Amino acid sequence: MIAQLSAVDWRVVMPEAILVAAALLVMIVDLLSRRSLRGQLYLIGIVGCAASFGALLPLYGAHVTSLFGAFVTDGFSWGFDALLLLTLAGALAISAAAKADDGGSPASYAALMILCTVGGMVMAGAANLIGIFLGIEQLSLALYVLAGTGFPRRSSEEAALKYVLLGSLASGFLIYGSALLYGATGTLRLADMVAAAAAPSALFVVGLALFLVGIAFKLALSPFHVWTPDVYEGSPIAVTAFMAVAVKVATFAVLARFVYTAIGHDSVALVPLWAIAILSMVVGNVGAIRQRNLKRLLAFSSIAQAGYIVVALAGVTRGGLSVMLFYLTAYAFMNLGAFALIVLVGSGDEAYANLDAYRGLFFRRPWVAALMSLFFMSLAGIPATAGFMGKLFLLQQAVAAGPWGVAMAVALVAGTLVSFYVYFKVIWEMLGRVEGGAPAADGNGWVPWLTASVGALGTLALGILPQMWSAIIAATMRTL
Amino acid sequence: MLIDALIFLPLAAALGLLLIPRAATSALKGVALAAAIATFALSLSFLRQTTGAVSQQSLPWISGSFTALYHVRVDGWSVFFVLLTTLVSVAAVWAAFTYADARRLRGYLFLLLSFETTLLGLFTAGDLLLFYVYWDLMLVPVFLLLVGYTDSPHARRAAWSYLIYNGAGGLVLLLGVVGLVVVTHSFEVLGHTYALSRPLEAWLFVAFALAFLIKTPVFPFHAWMPPTYAQAPPPVVAMVSGIQSKAGLYGFIVFALPLFSGAAHAWAPVMLTLAVASILYGALAALGQRDAKTLVAFSSLSHLGMVLLVLFAFSAIAVPASVLMITSHGVIAAALFLLLGSIEERVKTRDLTDFGGLAGRAPRLAAFMLIASMAALGLPGLSGFAGEFLIFLSAWQTQPAYTAVALVSVVLASVYALKLFQHAIHGPLKLPRGADATTLELNARELALVAPLLAVILLLGVWPAWLNDRTPAGYPTSSVTASIEARR
Repeated sequence: MIAQLSAVDWRVVMPEAILVAAALLVMIVDLLSRRSLRGQLYLIGIVGCAASFGALLPLYGAHVTSLFGAFVTDGFSWGFDALLLLTLAGALAISAAAKADDGGSPASYAALMILCTVGGMVMAGAANLIGIFLGIEQLSLALYVLAGTGFPRRSSEEAALKYVLLGSLASGFLIYGSALLYGATGTLRLADMVAAAAAPSALFVVGLALFLVGIAFKLALSPFHVWTPDVYEGSPIAVTAFMAVAVKVATFAVLARFVYTAIGHDSVALVPLWAIAILSMVVGNVGAIRQRNLKRLLAFSSIAQAGYIVVALAGVTRGGLSVMLFYLTAYAFMNLGAFALIVLVGSGDEAYANLDAYRGLFFRRPWVAALMSLFFMSLAGIPATAGFMGKLFLLQQAVAAGPWGVAMAVALVAGTLVSFYVYFKVIWEMLGRVEGGAPAADGNGWVPWLTASVGALGTLALGILPQMWSAIIAATMRTL
Repeated sequence: MLIDALIFLPLAAALGLLLIPRAATSALKGVALAAAIATFALSLSFLRQTTGAVSQQSLPWISGSFTALYHVRVDGWSVFFVLLTTLVSVAAVWAAFTYADARRLRGYLFLLLSFETTLLGLFTAGDLLLFYVYWDLMLVPVFLLLVGYTDSPHARRAAWSYLIYNGAGGLVLLLGVVGLVVVTHSFEVLGHTYALSRPLEAWLFVAFALAFLIKTPVFPFHAWMPPTYAQAPPPVVAMVSGIQSKAGLYGFIVFALPLFSGAAHAWAPVMLTLAVASILYGALAALGQRDAKTLVAFSSLSHLGMVLLVLFAFSAIAVPASVLMITSHGVIAAALFLLLGSIEERVKTRDLTDFGGLAGRAPRLAAFMLIASMAALGLPGLSGFAGEFLIFLSAWQTQPAYTAVALVSVVLASVYALKLFQHAIHGPLKLPRGADATTLELNARELALVAPLLAVILLLGVWPAWLNDRTPAGYPTSSVTASIEARR
């Protein structure tokens, strides 16, 4: 056993190991220092992200299986790991700017967020059912705690409780489904399930259904989305930002690897997945119409966006994986950017999640409002933004994939039209007249500015020159 | 290179405006107007290119499961769309000096110039994806101008109908574009013909056509137009009615008709019916309007229906005739909306029953209104006549029945155009309470910015060959022209 463990190529676990070390370092530094070192702790985390990315870079194009087949380092996991690290860095920066929203203990908050990302990276590389479950649990357990760090705000406690209860239920579905899949196929490795998936037994079908329900819970796909608005609204803004992006990135990695290796082609077994994608697009976009709280609005938006991203899998083609990662990257840039601006305008004050606080912002803070508009236009899929290119690639996958693909394409387009109202409503408010007294002073700060600017640059770069990123991921996606 | 400079000069100037402090209004105005005029001057250089020649340039853009190029081109047809854009934009930017309050001037000029870039990009796009990008991008400046740069709550509401209608059209077009590229694997579709299955060709044609009909607009897809035209500030409505309304017709000429010629012929009866319905409904609705801007909006519906009529009559000179009519309508609509804007600014109402008899106090305004409204009526010697005459002449050759019905609108046009002119200009002076009778005459700026538009109306009226000698007959891709001719 020991011999086998040491046979692990340490290079491939280096990115995760560095992150764990960074998390420990954050806690040790906090323990040893007498002063409160809030900003520096987050900085250590961000430097850890950079170091981890440095260790990830040489793995581009590698294909190594480790830990008895539970964990794979390949082109697919490389792309998702890179995106998770970017997300973590952005979320840590937003957290640093959102003052006093870390439950008074920045060290444990930052460490949890970092360890949560390690869970996400495990999910991206997980090649068997055990690996998947371990990754998901590490990600989720850390997030349950993070959701409650808005203490003593009641809604944050409520969010944490709801998230724990419903998340555990989802984990239950997931592990029960995994057990049935194991029973039906006699293997834990996804790649060995293909034969059983080709001629599925009843046991396999039930296992698959339960497994997908668990995944859909985590992705907030409708009809398993009901927890999302409350949890997004109650959690501290920075946690919401992290949750909205990181959980989706990691869980989509699991879903994609499962579909591609365990099922392998456009199978009837996947039809329920297409159906819930369509439902999510409808529920997410229609549900967002009446929202006046930006966090709730973005929660419904994330439901719809999750529905869009499923479309990438429609044809189960190699190109679909690149499209999924491209859209998730776009999604990360526009969401983190938007959340950074919410933090910027309100100095982290939760009242600034309300749309009323943004009325007339274009005339008070034209640059902030312009960036905010950029992110919302990208979410709506207006050209020259990442969101548009992502949707174009998704539609191309969908239309090429047969009747269910076309149905999803139509739903995507119809949902996008509804979402025009949702996202342009925010811009409409920002161009409105302010009646009565002057609004509360808006905040400022270079950290959220920088984060939002990076988001804006990414959103524009992916929208205008998508080739820069899509060529990198398309080249590496050849090894799954 | 030159084309890129043309497209991005307004945008560069718009971004440059952001570096100028908001309070420096004269610097903002100077830079914006200079950029608009320079763009117009640059566009004139494309007139020197010989008939049938194409200036173009392409760079790799996206490759992978499909190919898209950054491909821009100006040919004998699109040069007039480009010229119309740059000319009307000069007038619109200049007119904005009147309507924007000092605090919002910078954003106003920024959006007008950005809007010009999206329009120029659209009319020079040689790649279908590039065309789509600009097609959808146009929504943004217009929406923002409607929402943030008027004090009217009606305009803020009109912005939604503009956005949702045109957004819906754009998304349907996106489905069509993607459906096509799944077959072709390339967005470089200009000048190619594809053997599409009949149902697929029909679906794609319908998707393209829906988007184009909404944007133009054509009856019954025009519901967004009257509120938008009536509520938008005059510079914005001058650009939307003068230029943007041509985007759909341009799309038919350059993409939908050559790519889906089979489906276009199959659907011709439907399209011709919609065209005639627009022509008559627009003219009849214009008759009943008291709001001057809504009246002109409906006359626009009628006139652009004529272009649709000739395009789907598939006669030999359909494209030159439509380009003449499009250019003519562009300058007439822009001039009328700018003049009506000047009037509304003074008499504080658009209701034709509330004001009138401006001729006595404002003779130059009256003269300008006379030229613009007579051009809309189709008086010989002005561009409206040249355009309509050529359209009805060529449509008559292949579709006499539809053309005969559409000709009724010529009579209706004289009634509504005269009604507009007489109510506003002739008769005893009538002003609503609070309007100042001493400042009714146009000022030097207002005269100067409308004068070039009127000059084009006169030029095309007396010498339409100036334009038609430069537009080759047939459709922009010769191979396709051949296939359309063969089908006839």
